[in-house]
This record gives sequence, structure tokens and C-alpha cells, in this order.
Amino acid sequence: MKTIDESKLREIFGEENIKTDPSDLYAFGSDASVHHAMPWAVVRPDNTRQVQQLMVYANDALIPVIPRGGGSGMCGQTVPIRGGIVLDMKHMNRILEINLPDVYCRVEPGVVDDDLNLALKPHGMFYPPTPASSRIATIGGEIANNASGVRSVKYGATRDAVLGMKVVLPNGDLVTLGAHTRVEASGYQLHKLMVGSEGTLGIVVEATLNFVPIPEYRCMGIANFDHLAHAGAAVGSIMASGAIPSMLELVDSVAIKAVNKTMNLGLKEVAASLIFEADGMVKEAVDYEINKMKEICKKHQGSDITTSYDPRERARIFMGRKKLFPALSKYDDNLSSTSLADDMAVPYSRMADMAGKIHEVAKKNNIIMTAYGHCGSGCMHTKILMDTKQPEQWASARKAITEIYEFVRSVNGTTSAEHGIGLSKAASFKVEKADSLRLLQTIKQALDPNNILNPGKLMQAPDDWVTATGLRYAVNN
Amino acid sequence: METKHPTRFNHLKKWESTLAACIRCGYCFEHCPLFKYTGWESDAPRAKIITAFGLLSGELEPSEAAADKLFNCFYCKRCEAACSSGVTLTDIFTDARKDLVEMGYAGPGTTAVTDLTCAQCLLCVTACPHEARFHGENGIETDLVKCQSCGTCVSICPANAVNILHTFGTGKEDLTRASARFLDTHASAKAIVFACNWSYYPDLQASRLPESETHDKDYDIYVNMCAGRLEPETLMAPFLNHAWGVLVACCPEDDCQHKNGGKRSKQQVKRIQSILENLDIDPERIQVVEIPDGDKTLFQAEIDTFIDHLNALGPIK
Repeated sequence: MKTIDESKLREIFGEENIKTDPSDLYAFGSDASVHHAMPWAVVRPDNTRQVQQLMVYANDALIPVIPRGGGSGMCGQTVPIRGGIVLDMKHMNRILEINLPDVYCRVEPGVVDDDLNLALKPHGMFYPPTPASSRIATIGGEIANNASGVRSVKYGATRDAVLGMKVVLPNGDLVTLGAHTRVEASGYQLHKLMVGSEGTLGIVVEATLNFVPIPEYRCMGIANFDHLAHAGAAVGSIMASGAIPSMLELVDSVAIKAVNKTMNLGLKEVAASLIFEADGMVKEAVDYEINKMKEICKKHQGSDITTSYDPRERARIFMGRKKLFPALSKYDDNLSSTSLADDMAVPYSRMADMAGKIHEVAKKNNIIMTAYGHCGSGCMHTKILMDTKQPEQWASARKAITEIYEFVRSVNGTTSAEHGIGLSKAASFKVEKADSLRLLQTIKQALDPNNILNPGKLMQAPDDWVTATGLRYAVNN
Repeated sequence: METKHPTRFNHLKKWESTLAACIRCGYCFEHCPLFKYTGWESDAPRAKIITAFGLLSGELEPSEAAADKLFNCFYCKRCEAACSSGVTLTDIFTDARKDLVEMGYAGPGTTAVTDLTCAQCLLCVTACPHEARFHGENGIETDLVKCQSCGTCVSICPANAVNILHTFGTGKEDLTRASARFLDTHASAKAIVFACNWSYYPDLQASRLPESETHDKDYDIYVNMCAGRLEPETLMAPFLNHAWGVLVACCPEDDCQHKNGGKRSKQQVKRIQSILENLDIDPERIQVVEIPDGDKTLFQAEIDTFIDHLNALGPIK
């Protein structure tokens, strides 16, 4: 461990914006992943100048700096695997401008997604990426991971909503990337490169974001399927039909059983359910979209198909999906719901195969896995339920994940759809991107020659995620 | 600390699998008054769970700072309501406290402390809804495990001898200072709204709005830990800073977490109304409204009605 000049940090940030007590550092060593590692200090900037000053100091002293937003990442992106200073961006939380005529807003990176949406709501607008963690996720963190969620099928991911940004580079320089316009063809689109870079290339200190009108009408539907393959085929047909769902979610039999077991919701225990939604400003247009989706579900032997515009009924339809998280946590007192191999994306036509593969691999390796997700955008989520105390369960998880990612790559899928790579998914990421790894390293080297910004992540992360850091669970010896 | 025993967390041990079940999503942050005040993630409920895990697993050495994390909590349980894994966080904090007390850690965190002016009248002992006040070797003391920082003892003490030292923005001085700042910096300011944490919890506090969105705000909301704890000085202070009116939101009387908080707040407001009347000021410039747990629609409607009322009255001359 290198020595940190605490007086330097005090000079930059002030005493009240630094944490060095082990109890604080311990809390900042975690996120929502399975990993844990201790930082050496945590600092909290209030302005860009402080971020620049820190980077000048850290670059000179060769101390790792790990930018952190809400700490809701699921793959260990903010876990300081090589120690260093955690740069907690939550205090740079100003919504700087809501520009209605030009349809953009400017925000600091610590603004919470839900807060931005609350500020936009009186203007009839919303910020579209909508990750499930929007109540805690910061815009900076969402940019770092190219976050998205249930509405990405229609509105895209964070990368689609970012028009421009100001970024502090590892040497402390401040650069302005992108523009304030909807389109830009002025050279390299470096702001897009920053999206999804997981804090390894620069620190976003201001972002210019696009927003869209809140639709007047939303209609949600559900269809049950006796065969996973039929649900998967329906997804492909819907997306190929020209229909524009604002949500298209798949929930598998394991997930349905989990929700019934722990929440007593009484959902029909079928092989899979599809939840679909259309939204828009004109009811007839929404009707058209929703009827098209209904017809396709019917054609693929979907049953019990219901749709509704009523907010309460929509909430009821979505209840099974909404309660899935707590249901999986409560599934069994001895099993923990872990975020591993949790957001791969595959082509629509392989969605059902993917879910089937997950079930097969789980059974073979004696763990419980669910398959659910935003299948309209090709994203499949999983959770692994396992007894985290047992070392052999980790060995099984390691094996299962390797098999699952082999399948993902074999069908031209990708390792991560919306949670990023961090530490947990690095092994598969490196295989998937084998022929561009050198290029990725060259980009990293060009921007961060001293490798101080969030080192040890993405292509630099260890191949074995189980031993990459300490696990945040108590595992028996 | 010499009095401490070796690290043994016998009470915390039973939560081992629950600590693993917490998926550390952080959904509790936005709901925690401590986090909202300090902005430090290490003060949020998730950090307390992580601390408890660290202590239990031995990865984190017990220390005053680590113990403080567990002794700092108002037991509003909003974190539990928001928890995506259904973890009963405050039960875990309570068991951690039991172990920490046995090891010699003495808080106080947000628990009540008694100073030397205590007359030992025992009013607080009988009033405490959690049976956390008792007559001990050092006079009237607080049971650090049972105390839920509700402040009933603080507000009932005739000698002002009981205090919660770490108020995290919810104390008398905090509220007075914050309301004065709003009234001072907003020419449009008319009213101060004091909201009980249990009946209403405001959104949009983790981020700061642009000046264009806030410059014509006519009221601001300040959360306290029980409307029954609002003291006359706190309620009167906005009037001295040129507020047109003050609105107090309390929980329905049969739904108060702190035993009679709603009733006490109504009595307090009534007293202020008499003072205003004596000063020839419309007593309805201060009002109290009952808001059931989480009824934001009703709360907003009450605020709008109150602002309309103030607009009809105009500023105090």
C-alpha cells in the first residue's frame, strides 16, 4: 500500500470531505456485487476543480483513483481491487439546467436518476434509460456502465441519451466532448467512448442529456406460454413485425415459482410469461401496437392474454416481475441471490435457447438459476441462488458461468447488456473481445499512461472472478 | 479500550444468513434521514449492514467509529420498507448494539443522553414508549439497546436535561437554521412546512435543483423526527424571519410511533396560535394537519390549501 498524503487531500477537499477510518473504508469496499476490497481513502468533491487537483496529485503519486456513484454496480466496477482513493461523486449533484426549447438538460454526475426524472416531470418530460436501480443510481454511474432497463427496447440505453459531457482526464486536464445537439458528425465521438468505460478513461464531471416526452397513454399486457420456445419465438416475431413495444419482458418458470413461493401471488405456473407494453401520445396508435403484440402472442400459443390501460391493473400485471428481486432473496433461508452472469444479451431468435441453457446448466451444477429480463432488447437477466457459505457452491457457480458464457458467445451474444463488466464478467469479456483487446489496451494507455484510473477492471481484471478480490460473503474454510 | 472483551458477536450471529441475503442494492439510501443529511454512503443503512457483517466476520475490528454506525439510527424503518430483500435492518442493528454494549461501547449515537441538570423527576421514565429510560447508578440513564431515538424524553423533560446529541439535521437548531436560510434567500418565500418523518418523506433531496426551478418557491419542507417534538422556539422562528405562515404535519393521533406526538404537536400549535392572537396576528397563520403514513397526495393538497389561505391574508404587517 502506497502512502497517501492526507494533508494534500485535506488541502483539496477540506477535512469534512475525507474518510480514512477503517469502518468507513470497509463500507466503501463494496457495491452490489460479490466482491470486496478496501480503499485507502474516500474523498468527496464538490466541484470540477477539486477533481482536477486530485488527479494531478494521484497521477504524480501513482495512486489509483476509483470514481464512484451510488455504488449499485453489480459486477465490482467500483471495488478498489488495487486499493487507492475512492472518488465519491454523490456530492456533485446539481441539476444545472433544464433546457426545454433545445430538449436537453445539463447535470453533474452525482444527480440520482429518479431525482432527475422528478425534476423533468413538471415539464412533461422524462430521462429514458430507466435502470431498475434508478432510485439510487447516479447519472455518472449510469454513463460509466451504459445503463439501461425495461424501456431500452423503445428508448435505448444511456449511450443513446448522452449528447455530450465534460471529462477530467487522468492527468487532470478538463475536456469537453460531444455537443448540445441531437446529431454530431464532428470527428471521433469520444463522449460515446466514455459511456461504458467504467471509470477507466476519465471522470465525467458534467453531462448533457437528451430527454423525451412522457407518453399520454400506456397499455400493458401479459401472455402465458406452456413452452419456453413459444415465448422466445413470440419475442422474435414481435420485434420483427415492426411493432414498437415500450417494454417486453420475459419471466421464466423458476421466477414465477419463486414469486409464488415467497409472495403467495398465485401466478399461473407456466413455462414462461411475456409482459408487453406500448406507449404513445395517441390512444389509437397505442391500441395498434398492443393489438399487434397480442395477435403475435396468440399466434405463438400464448394464453390467458390480458391487456389494460388502468394503472392499477398494469401494476397487478407487473407485480410478478416487480416482486422477483425480493422473492429470490427470500427463496430459501440458506440461499443468497447473487449477481453473477446476470445480464447477457443474445439475438432474439436465441432468447428461448438461452433461457433453456440457463436451466440446463443450473441443474447440472446443483444451483438454482432464473431467466428473466428485457427480452425486447435482447437482454436476459439471471440470478444465481446458492449457499454462499459452501466453497463447493462457488466452484459450481464458476463452472456454470463459464458454460453459460460459452453458449452466449456461440450464438453471437454479448457478455453484458446493461450492468457492465467490472470484475465478475472479465473472463468472458476478454474471450469475447479477444481480437480487439490490444486496441482496448492501447486506448487505455493513451488516455491513462500511468494506469491510475480504476485499474484492474475490464480487460485488466483477473480471469478468476472468485479469487479476484475477497468475497463479501462468509465462506467456510 | 480496556473494558472491551474479545470480539464476540453472539447476538449478531443469528443474522448471518440475513446479512448474506442483503443484495446490497442500496435502495435504502434515499429513505434514510441520516444519509440524506450527511450525504455519506457510509452513514446509510446498507453501510450499517456491511459494518455488521464486517464485525461478525472479523474482517472489521470493533471500534468507536464502527459502533457509532450501529448506534446512529432513528428507527424510522423506512429502509426496511424500501428493502428489496425484505431485510429487517433495525432488528439487526439492535442485536449488534447488544453485543457492542456487552463489549463496553457506550454510544451514544442518536440515543438520548442526560445531563447534570436532571432533577430525576422520572417523567421521561414513564413516558418512554420503548422502556429505555431507567433509574440507574448515574441517575436517569438510557438503555442503549432499547432506545429508538424517538425523542419523547427530550420533549417531555421540564429541565431540558435530556438531549439527542447527534440530530442529523432534525434537531431544533438545525430546523431553525435551515428555515431561516430558505426565508432569507428566497424573495418568494411565504411558508415553512414542518413534516413528521413518519407521515411524510420528501423526494428529490439527493440532488440539487437549478436556480431556475427553485427561485420562485413559496414554501419549503423540513423533516423532523416527530411533530410532537417541535418546540415553540422552532415554530415561532420563521415568523421572526418574515414567514407568512407555518404548517405542521403530524401523524394521526392513533398512529403515532412516539406515543402522543400528534396530540402534543396540536397543543403546541394551539399555544402559538394564542400568542399570535395576542399579537393581533391571524392565528390561522400556523396550522397543524394530520397526514396518514405516506399520503403524499393529501399532504400536497393541505400545503396548497394553506398557501392559498396565506395568499388571501398577505404578509404579516
